[in-house]
Amino acid sequence: MKPRSPPVLLLAGGLAGVLFLVLWPLAWRSDFILYIATLVLQFSIGACSLQLIIRTGHISLSHAAFAGIGGYASVLLVKSAGWPWHFALIGAILAPAAFAALIGPVLLRLSGKYFVLVTFLFGELMRFVATDWQGLTGGSNGIFEIPKPYPAMRDPLNYYWLSLGFSVVCVGLCVRIMRSEIGRAMDAMRESEKLTECAGVPAFRIKVLIFVIACGLAGVQGSLNAHMNNVITPGNFGPLESLNLVVMNVIGGMTNMGGALLGTVFLVALPELLRGYVEWQRVIYGVILIVVMAFLPGGLVELWGRLRGLVTGEAVRGTAVVTDET
Amino acid sequence: MMARTGGSPLLVIEGLSKTFGTLRAVQNLNLSVADGEILGIIGPNGAGKTTTVNLMAGAFKPTSGRVLFDGHDVTGFPPHRLAAQGLVRTFQSTTVYGTQTVRENCRRGAFLHLFPGFFPALVPTARARALRAEVETEIDRLLDWLGLAEFAESEARNLPYGVQKTLGMAIALAARPRLVMLDEPVAGMSAEETDHVRDTIKRIRGAGISAIVIDHNMRFISGLCDRVLVLHHGEELAIGTPGEVMAQPAVIEAYLGKGHAKAGRP
Ligand SMILES: Nc1ncnc2c1ncn2[C@@H]1O[C@H](COP(=O)(O)OP(=O)(O)OP(=O)(O)O)[C@@H](O)[C@H]1O
Ligand SMILES: [Mg+2]
Repeated sequence: MKPRSPPVLLLAGGLAGVLFLVLWPLAWRSDFILYIATLVLQFSIGACSLQLIIRTGHISLSHAAFAGIGGYASVLLVKSAGWPWHFALIGAILAPAAFAALIGPVLLRLSGKYFVLVTFLFGELMRFVATDWQGLTGGSNGIFEIPKPYPAMRDPLNYYWLSLGFSVVCVGLCVRIMRSEIGRAMDAMRESEKLTECAGVPAFRIKVLIFVIACGLAGVQGSLNAHMNNVITPGNFGPLESLNLVVMNVIGGMTNMGGALLGTVFLVALPELLRGYVEWQRVIYGVILIVVMAFLPGGLVELWGRLRGLVTGEAVRGTAVVTDET
Repeated sequence: MMARTGGSPLLVIEGLSKTFGTLRAVQNLNLSVADGEILGIIGPNGAGKTTTVNLMAGAFKPTSGRVLFDGHDVTGFPPHRLAAQGLVRTFQSTTVYGTQTVRENCRRGAFLHLFPGFFPALVPTARARALRAEVETEIDRLLDWLGLAEFAESEARNLPYGVQKTLGMAIALAARPRLVMLDEPVAGMSAEETDHVRDTIKRIRGAGISAIVIDHNMRFISGLCDRVLVLHHGEELAIGTPGEVMAQPAVIEAYLGKGHAKAGRP
């Protein structure tokens, strides 16, 4: 067990961090940095909600597909049905959650690698549907001219604050879940499901519930992202996008929300910052990923732990995420 | 019909059978465990002892037969529902949360007493804090009882085998069961450790918890159990007090023939 930081410290640190995130653009405004920061905040919702699923012992390669379902739901409700955005957002949460409730009970019976494979296929299937159902989704060109949630959101700073607000709420919920008895049960069942069930934990029910909640949260990212970009395409559904969310967690060490946030910053900001060196971008990106995964199986969080270990003389080990059931 | 020792039966099994393919692991087993009783189950390797526990604890569904706990039919209930009713088991192969401290292992065992429901769990309330404090006290007492206090903050995987085995028992007891089923709790332990576990189980009974104990160690079983069930090829060979059972020729034969019986099994 990693030592849990006391709630008061966590709360104080969180508040200070949020305060900084709210205020920095007032002191120094750069629209490029603001854009990257907004993206990071949106992806933080996807990465952290995916971690909820990972912490039940399942690596999902369809999380971006659920974000995409949320995105399309939101855009269609605003553009075709004429709903105000805040109501459309509810649809953007409920649509992927309903989908998850439908397929979750089947998918979550699959263990380890089979779950990965089938969620990969589900992601592909969703992309297929989005490309082929032209009447609804506009086909491979997607849907254009998506209005901003509110007129004031045309100002990137306001959109940044909007994304920050939702990121704080959604990531806060993920952290809260993991620090509750549910989180304890999730970490326990990942280590030994049969032992956990003997303690009275309805493991399967928790898995399904967490899957539904996480996919609903992914829809928030989908909606925020689509209305910022003015366009949504089937590319938003692809397994590659989902893999990106998984890698954010891998970089962060898989079982730590702070790590997932670090991974998100790393993976969203890096490609944007390397835009000036297009020819080198992929190489640098690849090298960094390989180095992190090869030498820091516990992610950036492990690096922090090791540095701290050097000072305190304590050893740290990573924890396995997918353990094959007996 | 039902053998009663002391109070009313807490657990009753009727005509319980389990077949794996063509192998009849448990055949037509009838049994009752009284409230406050310690029942031993012995038998050669492959006799069906663990399978019997698996059937009672919800790990397997029986091929036929019923399990009644506290008067309710619980046949085929999943383990988490049985645990909620007070029926908890340990595993023959040492099963603990290796990456966690002994104390955290116990907390994970105490889920039922810490969990206020899914959505209430997300709001830190005074009640949740009180529950947590109560469970911590309970765990302290448990660790004391089992002689694990000195290891409370150690990671489970770094502990010696016997201590891990005892921790498996602590996890089960943290759920505050009414009946605990212990699958070979002293296998591989020293005589001294074995005696300590025996005394602990007696003390657990003193706290009102019944127990079913599987083991091969006859000294341990006779020194502990009110009654002993002898299983052989999945069937009841004998049942009675340790003295009665050990005196039966069939039991002696089954044990003398143990090596041959094992090799000759399908
Ligand atoms: N899941 C299973 N699938 C198939 N066969 C099984 C299964 N579990 C047990 N068996 C078989 O059922 C028989 C009884 O096994 P069981 O584990 O109940 O014996 P046991 O009395 O606990 O033995 P031991 O003293 O070695 O622990 C054995 O022949 C075993 O191979
Ligand atoms: Mg056995």
